[in-house]
Amino acid sequence: MTQPLLSVRGLQRRFGGITAVKGANLDLCEGELLSVIGPNGAGKTTLFNLISGHDRPDGGTVRFGGVEVTGSTPERLAALGLARTFQHGRVFANLTVRDNVLMGTHSRMKLARPGPPLLGALRELFLALIRPPGVRAEEQALRREVEDILHLFGDRLIPRLDRPAYSLSYANRRRLEIARALALRPRLLMLDEPTAGMNETETAEMRTIIGQLKARGQTILLIEHKLDLVMQLSDRVIAMDDGAEIAAGTPAAVRHDPAVVEAYLGHRHMGGEQTPDAVALEASP
Amino acid sequence: MQLTRRAVLAVPALIPFAARAAGPVFAGVSGPLTGPNAQYGAQWKRGFDLALDGINGAGGVKGRPLQYIFEDSQSDPRQSVAVAQKFVADPRVVIELGDFSSPASMAASPIYQRAKLVQFGFTNSHPDFTKGGDHMWSNSTSQAEEQPKLYDFAAALGFKRPAVLHLNTDWGRTAKDAFVAAAKTGGAAVAAVEAYLGTEQDFRPTLVRVRDSNPDGLVLLSYYADGALICRQARDTGIKLPVLAGTSNYSPKFLELGGPGVEDVFVMTTFFPADPRPEVQDFVKRYRAKSGTDPDSFSAGAYDTMVLWAKLVEGWGPTREGMQAGLLEIKDVPSVIYGAATFDPRTRRVQGASYKRLVVQKGQFTLWDGNRPT
Amino acid sequence: MGAWLDYTINGLIVGNIYALLAVGLALIFGVSHLINFAQGSIYTAGAFIGWTCAQRLGTPLPVTMAAVVLGCAALGVVIERVGLRPLAGSARIAPLLATIGISFVLDQGLQLLYSPDPRSLPSPLPAWRIQVGRGTIGALDILIAATGLVSAAVLFGFLRFSRLGWAVRATAQDSEAARQMGVNTDAVNRTVFAIAAGLGGLSGLLVGMYYNHIDTAMSFQATLKGVVAQVIGGMGNVPGAIAGSLLLGLTESYGVALFGSSYRNLFAFVLLLIVLVLRPNGLFAGRQAMSPEPLTGTFIAPSRPWDVPRWAVAVCVLLAALLPFLPNSAYALQVLTNAWLYALLAISLTLVAGTLGQVSLGHAGLLLIGAYASALLALDSGLPVWLSIPAAGFVTAALGTALTWPAFRLRSHYVSIATLGIGEIVGLVILNWESLTHGPMGVTGVPPLTAGTVELDSPQASYWVALAVLVLLGLMQSRLLGTHLGRTFRAIRDDDVAARACGVSLDRYKGLAFAVSGFAAGISGAISAHLYSYINNETFTSQVSVLALTMVILGGMGNVLGAVIGAVALTGLPEVFRFTAEYRQLIYGLVLLLMIRFRPQGILGTA
Repeated sequence: MTQPLLSVRGLQRRFGGITAVKGANLDLCEGELLSVIGPNGAGKTTLFNLISGHDRPDGGTVRFGGVEVTGSTPERLAALGLARTFQHGRVFANLTVRDNVLMGTHSRMKLARPGPPLLGALRELFLALIRPPGVRAEEQALRREVEDILHLFGDRLIPRLDRPAYSLSYANRRRLEIARALALRPRLLMLDEPTAGMNETETAEMRTIIGQLKARGQTILLIEHKLDLVMQLSDRVIAMDDGAEIAAGTPAAVRHDPAVVEAYLGHRHMGGEQTPDAVALEASP
Repeated sequence: MQLTRRAVLAVPALIPFAARAAGPVFAGVSGPLTGPNAQYGAQWKRGFDLALDGINGAGGVKGRPLQYIFEDSQSDPRQSVAVAQKFVADPRVVIELGDFSSPASMAASPIYQRAKLVQFGFTNSHPDFTKGGDHMWSNSTSQAEEQPKLYDFAAALGFKRPAVLHLNTDWGRTAKDAFVAAAKTGGAAVAAVEAYLGTEQDFRPTLVRVRDSNPDGLVLLSYYADGALICRQARDTGIKLPVLAGTSNYSPKFLELGGPGVEDVFVMTTFFPADPRPEVQDFVKRYRAKSGTDPDSFSAGAYDTMVLWAKLVEGWGPTREGMQAGLLEIKDVPSVIYGAATFDPRTRRVQGASYKRLVVQKGQFTLWDGNRPT
Repeated sequence: MGAWLDYTINGLIVGNIYALLAVGLALIFGVSHLINFAQGSIYTAGAFIGWTCAQRLGTPLPVTMAAVVLGCAALGVVIERVGLRPLAGSARIAPLLATIGISFVLDQGLQLLYSPDPRSLPSPLPAWRIQVGRGTIGALDILIAATGLVSAAVLFGFLRFSRLGWAVRATAQDSEAARQMGVNTDAVNRTVFAIAAGLGGLSGLLVGMYYNHIDTAMSFQATLKGVVAQVIGGMGNVPGAIAGSLLLGLTESYGVALFGSSYRNLFAFVLLLIVLVLRPNGLFAGRQAMSPEPLTGTFIAPSRPWDVPRWAVAVCVLLAALLPFLPNSAYALQVLTNAWLYALLAISLTLVAGTLGQVSLGHAGLLLIGAYASALLALDSGLPVWLSIPAAGFVTAALGTALTWPAFRLRSHYVSIATLGIGEIVGLVILNWESLTHGPMGVTGVPPLTAGTVELDSPQASYWVALAVLVLLGLMQSRLLGTHLGRTFRAIRDDDVAARACGVSLDRYKGLAFAVSGFAAGISGAISAHLYSYINNETFTSQVSVLALTMVILGGMGNVLGAVIGAVALTGLPEVFRFTAEYRQLIYGLVLLLMIRFRPQGILGTA
């Protein structure tokens, strides 16, 4: 068996007295799409933050591309080829659409390579000032690539290339964030609820796009509440509740797992937000 | 570039004296009217106005009234240099007075020096101020002269181990160095030296530190507002030592702000309203009539400066060259601070201020009777 | 041993005083996320209202206190209504500038009304004193402590148990949500400003009586110490503010005990930095996870900058370069030389504050480093001036970046406060490091500007030098902003979490921005030193930092051309209003307020 691209073992995270993630385990192979589902507060986003380096685990290990990366900084993980989006959307509000996506290419720029501590940075500054032909050519190539990436979203973003991101609709900001993540040419793409706040048409469109990415062989780790989408796209699904894995396996198996049904129903009675999903789950044959 | 400059600067000199008619003669004043030092600018104005009331009331100088143009610099070097250019370019201005702080005054010095316009820094005690050029003059008392006198007072009070508190500025530092040197010569051992910032209001920890150095008296090289605060808080920290305060503490405000805390404090001053000399009595009487309070050393300095200027205009003519020539030659100008002021042409400063020894009794400055504190 | 008791008591006494200042600031920050720079002015206003009552009308102390609280509360309501509410929709930086403008207007108004002379404000309390250690404490000390504790307790009760208090807390947590739940957030803000201003005024009265000294120039120091104290405790945390104040008082007192009084403020600001580095949200704040929303994105106004065509800029530069050929222009040239030097400072600041989103309040420290570096290199090392100035630029870039390093991990307002502390530290180190800097005597005889053997000390020559350097560095900065560096800086400003996810190392790019910024500021300081021939630690104070920030906000954050326009406007206005003498600062403040009111995103807009 080939080594998995991402391998998580016994990951833990506590906030004060609450344990948000209790010993999570997962493996993700190249080209696979793995979904993490679970009610709000189940620890999905915390798990994402721990993997992407935005939060430091209290225990456990993360290996990415065969390298141990537990507790690494997000910038190092990005350089290794890990890109992510955020649950509530974090676009650069005052940057144009084009610049937002260009930011995604940052870790691939020759200029921005770390180099020796102080000197690397000074070299970067110097080259930015004099802009030798090589630097200009690289920037031009990246700009062309930005348009290629944005074409993936049809005419949603291309006509707005030079608009600031704050002027975009909510759905377009989500798309832009995915475009920015793709600009990193990630080995692993982590999407945190990419269709949150989207209507049915927009959701369907997003499903097609994720499907296309998967067909291109993109490895994807997905958090999603819309179970239809999860069932159609995922190779495997992990369900979490209260910080722990309660079920794992094929979409069909997880969907019928009594623990999963219980988790959603239990939360529904406590007034969770994911009632529609839970209803959808009950209604499914 | 050089040519342009000469052409611009030559303009005032080209206008013949006669063409300027018999209107008022102007002095430019650069000083703080707003900002944190505005209180000193306000005191200057009182001193200036009082002197000009007298001079112009008596028909001015040779029939021409004297006037000043006060430009607010906030005692900020960026503004004092702009003010300097303004005065230099204004052919009416024959002398410049100020600025208040050393950074503001000395930043403007090169401009006045190039234009050969006298910069008369009457509060500038920084030893290097008059070294900025031969057109920088000051009648501010020299610390090298004043501090030995203050030490003599301290010695007369029986201080053998004085502790010195001084404002941590160029002025306070110069004063402190001169005092410590005089004390050394006089055979006293300085128990402690504490420098404080001008923005400071809380002196209690400093005073505890001073107390624990076992001094036999405190010497304050402070301005009146800080001096009053230190005296009050010395009492609160349980210090019962005699306190001697330097000349810049002499102000009615020292009594007002210090309240009972400054009772029995010894103060040395160059200017004292009870001085029987007629010019002092005239000044004090008119100042009280106009402002309702006693003058202090800042307004006395401003008053003296205006009187001096009138003498210069009278003797050497209302021109920039006249001012410089006059300062080199003038002798024994009547002064409420000096008695008679004469400039040393090498240092461009005045020697020979007369010092009075005072003590605060029942909330008033009174001449010290020579009895040591018990 | 006895002395340590005295130092402790003295530290607590002055900490007590800081607490009164800090509580009001903490309350406003807690609810509106605003550092109220006008709080010190309200404090001064309270002192003068108290003086008028007690000395002119002869009211007894309880009546005086009530009058001060009511008067200042009314003042707070007016400030909120006139100065801040109209800015509710704009980014947070605009109200910050508004409070600076309001403090200008208040201070100057008081000065005109009461004259700048200091006044005594005797305490009517009985004169008995209790012996503690070898020192004593009096009735007023106890009244101040009681006022601090009682107001904290009343505030606590109000916030916890009254409906309006709940509304205040809800607004503090999420004003948008509170509004949607039917909370009248305007009423909440009004209440908070009234309470904070009432407390601020009361502290002015009590502290004024404590020192028996009030004057119209005491506002800035009061704001400074209050802000430091509340940041140590955790911004927006009322009990924390009291604890932070006591800790600050104790640290200062022990600092004096150990090293003497000239190190006192150095200790205060070093404490501030240590606390910020170890506990970035203050000593008593809970640990925070990742910021829930992009903070900086809302801090800087989203706006589209006005695009000034290149030819227009070129024409302006050309006209500016030709100005010295006008006759009799020396004064105008000097004012504009100052404006160009301030503009250098402003483009330096706009890079870090506007483009990078790290609102620095310590740029005066960079000016000082540049000025001293060039002056000392020219005087003590004999370097020719045309070399010492660029050398000073590099020294400032290196030293400034190294000094700001501890602030790199901080966010939003904490960056401002930390850099304010760093700026103060630079001034105090210069004052105390005598062997290098000549201490309080300053550096005299700094040689004038020269190029080779040609002296450039005429107003025309200095003007051209300053203009040329400004144009050069301005073009350089614009060029940088057009590269991936500009993009990266702005991304960090808008959302540093997302920037890191893109692979951006925050330290590296913050370091680069501060280095470029330090270079320009250092050059500005260096040229000033050679123009003035004399510098000391007070040549550039924290008020210069505040002024520079005002220029940057006025011009439009991150906007290079805007920074230049802001500098010209704020250097020129006080000169234009010179004929109004004592009124000019007041008019200046009012004009500033009007500008913020009608163009909160700055003249040219955020870039």
